[in-house]
Amino acid sequence: MTTYRLQVNGKPHAVDTDPDTPLLYVMRNELALNGAKFGCGLGQCGSCTVLLDGQPVMSCMVPVSVVGARMVRTVEGLGDARTPNVLQQAFIDEQAAQCGYCIAGMIMQATALLEKNPAPTDAQIRAHMSPNLCRCGTHMRILRAVRRAADVLAKGGKR
Amino acid sequence: MSADPARRRFLAAGGALTLSFAMPAWSAPGALPKSLDKTPWLDAWIRIDANEAITVFTGKAELGQGIKTALLQVAADELRVLPSRLRLVTADTARTPDEGITAGSNSMKDSGTALRHAAGQVRARLSELAAKRLNVPAASLAMKDGAFVAPDGRRISFGQLVTGQELHMKATPEPAPPAPGPKTAIGKSLPRIDIPAKVTGGTAYVQDLRLPGMVHARVVRPPSPHAQLLAVDSAAVTRLPGVLKVVRDGRFLAVIVEGEYRAVKAAAALARAARWDTLAALPVHPTVEALIRSQPAEALPILERGAPGAQGRRLAATYTRPFQLHASIGPSCAVAQLKDGRYTVWTHAQGVFPLRTALAELLAVKEDTVHCIHAEGSGCYGHNGADDVAADAALLARALPGRPVRVQWMREEEHAWEPFGAAMVAQVAATLGPDGRIADWQYDVFTPAHNTRPGKAGNLLAATHLARPFTPPVPKPSPQPEGSGDRNAIPYYVMPNARVVHHFQPTPVLRTSALRGLGAYCNVFAIESFMDELARTANLDPVAFRLKHLDDPRALDVVKLAASKFGWDGYRRTARRGRGFAFARYKNLASYCALAVEVEVARETGLVHIVRAISAVDCGEIVSPDGVRNQIEGGIVQSASWTLLEQVRYDAERVLTVDWASYPILRFAQAPDKVKVHLIDRPGQPFLGTGEAAQGPAAAAIANAVFDACGLRMRDLPLDRSRVRKA
Amino acid sequence: MIQPRRKRHTGWWLLLAAAVVLAGIAFAIMWRPALAPQAAPPSFDQTSIARGANLARLGMCASCHTPDLARPFAGDKPMETPFGTVHSTNITPDLNTGIGAWSPEAFTRSMREGVSRDGHLLYPAFPYNHYARMTQADIDDLYAYFMTRPAIDSPARDNAMTFPFGFRPLIAFWNVLYLDDTPWQPDPQQSAEWNRGAYLADAVAHCAACHTPRTKLGGPDVKRQLDGGEAEDWYAPALNRNSPSPLPWTRAQLQAYLRSGIALDHAVAGGPMQDVVMHLAQADEADVAALAAWTHSHLAQAPVRRTPAQQDGPLPPPAADDPDLQRMRLGYALYANSCARCHDAGRDQTSGTALPLQKAIALYDPDPRSLLYIVDDGILPPDGEPARWMPGFRAILDDEQAGALAAYLRKYGAGQPAWPGLDKAVSKARAP
Repeated sequence: MTTYRLQVNGKPHAVDTDPDTPLLYVMRNELALNGAKFGCGLGQCGSCTVLLDGQPVMSCMVPVSVVGARMVRTVEGLGDARTPNVLQQAFIDEQAAQCGYCIAGMIMQATALLEKNPAPTDAQIRAHMSPNLCRCGTHMRILRAVRRAADVLAKGGKR
Repeated sequence: MSADPARRRFLAAGGALTLSFAMPAWSAPGALPKSLDKTPWLDAWIRIDANEAITVFTGKAELGQGIKTALLQVAADELRVLPSRLRLVTADTARTPDEGITAGSNSMKDSGTALRHAAGQVRARLSELAAKRLNVPAASLAMKDGAFVAPDGRRISFGQLVTGQELHMKATPEPAPPAPGPKTAIGKSLPRIDIPAKVTGGTAYVQDLRLPGMVHARVVRPPSPHAQLLAVDSAAVTRLPGVLKVVRDGRFLAVIVEGEYRAVKAAAALARAARWDTLAALPVHPTVEALIRSQPAEALPILERGAPGAQGRRLAATYTRPFQLHASIGPSCAVAQLKDGRYTVWTHAQGVFPLRTALAELLAVKEDTVHCIHAEGSGCYGHNGADDVAADAALLARALPGRPVRVQWMREEEHAWEPFGAAMVAQVAATLGPDGRIADWQYDVFTPAHNTRPGKAGNLLAATHLARPFTPPVPKPSPQPEGSGDRNAIPYYVMPNARVVHHFQPTPVLRTSALRGLGAYCNVFAIESFMDELARTANLDPVAFRLKHLDDPRALDVVKLAASKFGWDGYRRTARRGRGFAFARYKNLASYCALAVEVEVARETGLVHIVRAISAVDCGEIVSPDGVRNQIEGGIVQSASWTLLEQVRYDAERVLTVDWASYPILRFAQAPDKVKVHLIDRPGQPFLGTGEAAQGPAAAAIANAVFDACGLRMRDLPLDRSRVRKA
Repeated sequence: MIQPRRKRHTGWWLLLAAAVVLAGIAFAIMWRPALAPQAAPPSFDQTSIARGANLARLGMCASCHTPDLARPFAGDKPMETPFGTVHSTNITPDLNTGIGAWSPEAFTRSMREGVSRDGHLLYPAFPYNHYARMTQADIDDLYAYFMTRPAIDSPARDNAMTFPFGFRPLIAFWNVLYLDDTPWQPDPQQSAEWNRGAYLADAVAHCAACHTPRTKLGGPDVKRQLDGGEAEDWYAPALNRNSPSPLPWTRAQLQAYLRSGIALDHAVAGGPMQDVVMHLAQADEADVAALAAWTHSHLAQAPVRRTPAQQDGPLPPPAADDPDLQRMRLGYALYANSCARCHDAGRDQTSGTALPLQKAIALYDPDPRSLLYIVDDGILPPDGEPARWMPGFRAILDDEQAGALAAYLRKYGAGQPAWPGLDKAVSKARAP
């Protein structure tokens, strides 16, 4: 067991765990964060997507020991149920969920896109979201939610 | 086949229509509707506390289909309050009515109907009490925000009216008179109450449970269904950091650990420390058809109408479907604790009551010592690993009494061990009369069991791996009209002569159970593909051909609406594109769904791209329009994934499709360009389940569109890229 | 001394005459006539089309001409070359934007000489210098195949060439140097299968286009056949006696690899080779076997070496006296925490068939690029088709970590001398 200092959603944390523990397990267990989910543990489905220095990563493939001082951001850092951010609100407005298990990962994946490219085309949204799987078939609504958030941001809405 | 006409009474009140509830066509007069018949006490469904809290109880579970919100809407509407005033308690063996399994698209029909009925009678009872207290006639009372208001403005709230056992009375078969005032909740799309937590990382799933003292366990499953455990050298594993216990019972092998990832690692070490005798015992055949036809079957005729031998043009075809996966995005998970002789199991199983029965048998304890509480999992689409992992957790809780034990299935485990959607072979033959109508129809469907849900311990995976194993009970087909493998095997069309036989195969090759739609997915695929083939043989437009054979006005309406919204009549085919149509009424008694699809086919790469999918749906009286749309859109897209991509693969030893790489499903790149759902609302009609209505029609509409686009008639699911390339 | 005026005039005239003659020769080299457009193609017989389909698989046409799976052969794939970015063209039989108006002669000329129907020269990103040696019958079959594909409207996109390579006629000079259209000849000493493989490898599958190094002018370095080259910035290893493979290839392994992208316990196809394998999986099995036979005959010339690949087991921690101990320790930790879970403990239950890293050929390449790309991008299956999967670590490992991991694996996985310029290669691989 080693102590790792992590920056998660702007707050410092110190966790004691084994160096090969994937960040996903650290977030869910040591930090009690629910957003990133265990979907496969193989980097194939994106349910565990978080941002690492602004880049989307599959947190099931990130050993906690490689994170270092880089910024980890999860869906909890974007907003909460009372004050969701633009993208989260867009998912609520579009009712873009069925079982909802993949959605936190989708939101983080989309966040990375909108922060780099605030005016993506529909084709760019589709291509960018491809690493993330949805089994319920909510694809159309998810795309609409990202489009909706992009449109709000384009009109000058606050992130 | 058509529904009994509903009785409707119209009352104009405040410019809005209020409609009385119509008895479902299938319940006998003088009988309580389903679910209420088993739990007739009103306060088992609705509880009102002195502090004005209104709690609604349902035996159904939220599976991501929005049922929590829809049921709240139903109850709220009858009580004329806003849904946000209600608290909903779902599927809990200690607290809610036993409504069996949340499946079959029956939640609105059963729980919705029961709640509507019970809430209506609660309201009527409260209204009586209020009338007495306020000394005015009950009919003069208005309702607002959980209170009754007399014409002179005096109010009395629900909480003030219920001081004791006022609601402890049995429901009666006659529905309550309609509630006064405009509807507050039904027919509107309410934002789902569970979504805000899901988009912000709130607690929402069984996977989010963190109980004090909770430990983590992983099961090491055999490398193949028939493998035997020869030896396991667990000494080194027990010394790994965090390991509390290695459990072995026959070929059930597991490790309980403090620390989740340590459990993952310990299980991997345990797997390496085990020696198995892997038998090459799975039957391998070159095609699904060859496999299914090789299996012994019981021929069960389910339709015998008219007589065979009609004259005309005869056409025959065979359609097949492989084993397919639920492949829930979140592998199954459960937490169990044994404390003071009682088991508590947190589970996302679709039926907490049947699970409790099975667990009690497995653990050899009395049912009332097992408490199963539903907590949401990811979408299950039927009988996935949820019950099995609950059994794993219960067994391991028994091995470590006092501690909550959390078992999380790994991805490979879910893919390889969940009960599969059953493979099917559907053989159709029909004769077209000189008038272009179907004069004769013969349909034979061959398939193993589509329902091996627990109730019996033998249907729990771990139970069959113990040293003294439970034997899975011999599966039985479910009778029509619900059916199982033969669900929707009887065509909804008018045919003077028709015979349908369900060739039920009781001996499993691979473990199979209910997957969304059960037999309907393949039966509708087969029937609707064949209708297309018949239409073309008769030189008739596929939509016109179907209209010719339908007499149910509601069926005609959805077909015409879908065709019209698609622009079927004016359609001009462009290069590499084509259109396809399909219609079905789920189970021939639930929702009506018609679907028109346009695809673009690239034969060289095998890519089938869905340009647009336009559907029309009639699900009776609509509680939540958006909820219906979500389910149908989702059903179309999921069915597109099954239809274009999915099949379980295995060799003589083991299942080979064990992750998303080996079992690809639809990704965003292949999602349709456009999906549209048009709803036909039938106020006053019974609620009809929609969760599974689109699976079959989507498959057939896609296959028919592929034929239209490039002349390839594909009868074997999936229409995957290598098949489209080779064809 | 005053020069006679006569002599001065002669010098100028000679120069002018020489210039005119040279210009004439250059023009003759660079200029090609347009061939008449053909309104509608004649009909074709099914067996010719079927053979053409097979040849198109073996020739990897879709690799460049089908970037969008929904629009086969519609072109528009950008390809980076040292001379600029070239976009592939539409080879569907569309009359306006494709080759619908091309006669068999025009098609043959493009395949053998790299000349478009209207006379403009094609960039040798299109490997006509290989197709030049195809038999006429094969070219005719390919023509039958392409002319019977659905027409797709897809206009050619402008290329972005570095000056002066935008001036197409210059390609004629490249052709003088590198276009060898001597018909391919079988080797009578070899079997029919080997010869079939040799023909396919040279004239159709053009293996050398990636696996033979190129000269500064971008032509094949014929003195170093199969000595290793590159494709899309991946290093394509040598297939001859200089093969970096730490274990010898068997014929069976090679055949399995070419058909499926996996030779169990030996190699997994990554990067551009994945596309090759996807094409070969759809080609005639006997033809792929022939390719395997030919390739194997070259690979078999590599001497057997002793390498760590011969030992099983996890990779070791760095030696205590390693001169670069800090970095190697970091690399080892990264290996142990990021890679070992799949590559050491083994994941038989998944489809990954993760290779023990001491066997990974990329570690033995003289060039680190392939390893870096595999670590960064992983190995992903083609859209919607079942295959192997390795996730990418580009955003997970920063540059320092990626470099340390690569250095560690090179030394303690492969036992090979350090790659020079590794850190630069890491940043270059990650440059957007």
